[in-house]
Amino acid sequence: MNGEDPQERPELIKNIINGLERYNPEAAGTLESYLQEQCDQKFCDASANRALLKLYQLNPDRINNEAITNTLVKCMTLFPSPQFDLALHLLSPAIANPSAANAGSSTSELAEAVAKLRALNAQLEGAQYARFWATMDSDDLYADLTTDIAGFEEMIRVRIAQLVSQAFREVNLSVLEAWLGINDEAEARKYVTEACGWKVDADGVVQIPRNPENEAKKAEIREYVNVDMFSRVIRRAWEAAA
Amino acid sequence: MSAFQNGAPPVRAIDDDSDVEEEALVADYREQVQFEDGMEELEPVTSLTMAQQTDDIQSRLAAAAQPLDFSAPLEVKFQSYDSYCSLFHFILNSEGPVDLEPPSYYWAWDVIDEFIYQFNSFSSYRARIARQANNEEEIQVLRDNPNTWGCYSVLNVLYSLIQRSQITEQLAAMKRNEDPMAVAGEYGSKSLYRMLGYFSIIGLLRVHTLLGDFSLALKTLDDIELNKKAMFARVMAAHFTTYYYVGFSYMMMRRYADAIRMFSHILVYVSRTKNFQKNAQYDSITKKNDQMYALIAICVAFHPTRLDDTIHTALREKYGDQLLKLQRGGPESLPIFEELFRTACPKFISPVPPDFDHPEANVDPIEHHLSIFMDEVKTNMFNPTLKSYLRLYTTMDLNKLAGFLEVDSEELRSWLLVNKQRSKQLRWSDQALLEGDLVNVSDIDYALQGDLIHISEAKVGRKLVDWYLRNLARTYA
Repeated sequence: MNGEDPQERPELIKNIINGLERYNPEAAGTLESYLQEQCDQKFCDASANRALLKLYQLNPDRINNEAITNTLVKCMTLFPSPQFDLALHLLSPAIANPSAANAGSSTSELAEAVAKLRALNAQLEGAQYARFWATMDSDDLYADLTTDIAGFEEMIRVRIAQLVSQAFREVNLSVLEAWLGINDEAEARKYVTEACGWKVDADGVVQIPRNPENEAKKAEIREYVNVDMFSRVIRRAWEAAA
Repeated sequence: MSAFQNGAPPVRAIDDDSDVEEEALVADYREQVQFEDGMEELEPVTSLTMAQQTDDIQSRLAAAAQPLDFSAPLEVKFQSYDSYCSLFHFILNSEGPVDLEPPSYYWAWDVIDEFIYQFNSFSSYRARIARQANNEEEIQVLRDNPNTWGCYSVLNVLYSLIQRSQITEQLAAMKRNEDPMAVAGEYGSKSLYRMLGYFSIIGLLRVHTLLGDFSLALKTLDDIELNKKAMFARVMAAHFTTYYYVGFSYMMMRRYADAIRMFSHILVYVSRTKNFQKNAQYDSITKKNDQMYALIAICVAFHPTRLDDTIHTALREKYGDQLLKLQRGGPESLPIFEELFRTACPKFISPVPPDFDHPEANVDPIEHHLSIFMDEVKTNMFNPTLKSYLRLYTTMDLNKLAGFLEVDSEELRSWLLVNKQRSKQLRWSDQALLEGDLVNVSDIDYALQGDLIHISEAKVGRKLVDWYLRNLARTYA
């Protein structure tokens, strides 16, 4: 899985998450600074971050709000993937799913932030990219929540471009503009040609090079037969004869 | 499994629904049951010798494997916790390994199973008392004893049993075809420790799933090989439990093909052994059996696939109506997903004591996990409709299709992207459970050229081997 076990993971972290140290509340500090490192250096170790969330789950007094939201934002950059959900499952229900009775008056700041990130993630998972950028612009809180993650918008943009290239052979520049959250035709053209290396023709249609994903080749699924599947029949025939 | 997988391309090999594996297991199990039948005649003798050495510890061992009454009062639940603690303390912290033989080959499983069951039901009970907030007396007792049946102590017991028995090292040696006894150490060479250690690994799988840590749950089984030689296969309930939790964790990680494979394997096995199942074990299995059919229905809705004939028939019998609605998708399918998930999921728990001061703040963990799961259901709910239209064309105009579906074209682009992205799934092929290859699992593929959709459907050739083998067996058996 994407971002599950990155090469960047240092020995120290390996020892924590693969051993009993992952249950030691003191390990939270180390995992938190490792998370910070991931935020600064644009890689993601979802497995180590879940070990941190697990420590919070077992020791709620240790909870660090920022580490939780940063973990979720990191997971979000891996879309589409189950990583964000796997992280949510480890949060206490009071944070991830505050009850209706409790909503409004006493919802914590953290619960509110998690709810916002969850809605944002749903838009990425649902491939509603134009809506995602609109949501990002709708409230300053989103900027606050993603500010610790270096290159957040850029990572999302690259990922969207990747996913588009897996489904499209040609796409209108105007569609891409909205999806990439670039509200300027000249800039969008620049991004598409320079960052993605795609060509834009005279009618404003972006040409995406062929790749195995956007070919949609006809496939035939055949049954695979080998001798071993018949071993029992053959043995029985042999035994019956003998 | 490896024997007939050699040489086959990995992806196809998994797809292969030949049932050699289940057949071998069934044969094994039949032998074992018959063996026990033979043993019964000898029993008077055995129990006589047992009687001579009956002492306190033997009765404690037996008691630890006894199910606690569901309605047992709080006091009894506390006592039960204490006696587990002292028993495990005795086993783990005596000077040197304790010289005891487990009362039976399934005793160790029963103990770990009951231990976790009681932990699970205690946590659920405590949360319910906190939510209801009308039993002051019990609330006070629970408040005063936050560490009774605490998550850390349960994990501690399981991990300690695993470490003491060196079971991880033993299993690794077995994987390399070496003698496990060479690395078993003083404790692990005794069957009491080896069995407790082994079943503690499966216990951990269960506890991690109950806490919502699905990837860690699967990682826990890294050392255990899921095949007929697995030690757990000898104990029906252990075998069954393992596949339920592994399958469930796969489902929560969106690995539906793997989940279906797990559930199908064990359900086929159960359906073939039920004729010579004679003990009470089988009754307890019936409920989980139905739960797994419900989970298969959910997985098939996400990932339409051909099921084993036996499974398919039983699924239609048990959940025919629901399955139809799930497969149709759309907002009408959502309540069915919720209903099936609630009946079939494990009884999730929270690892920490509830907030007794704010009863309304305690959300049932089942609702928590369900709500996250439903996010993914909602993202995917239009896939069936979309696919049913795409199947009809080889090329199609996006705006025209949007008209048929009564959505705007931007919305339809999102649907197309979602469906395309979900057609790739991580699928296991002979590595650790968490590993897998990203493969295309859909029979329909498409690409967009501007607003023109090019569609290609994979032709699935008929699968004859299974049919042929079945009929051969029927004719010549």
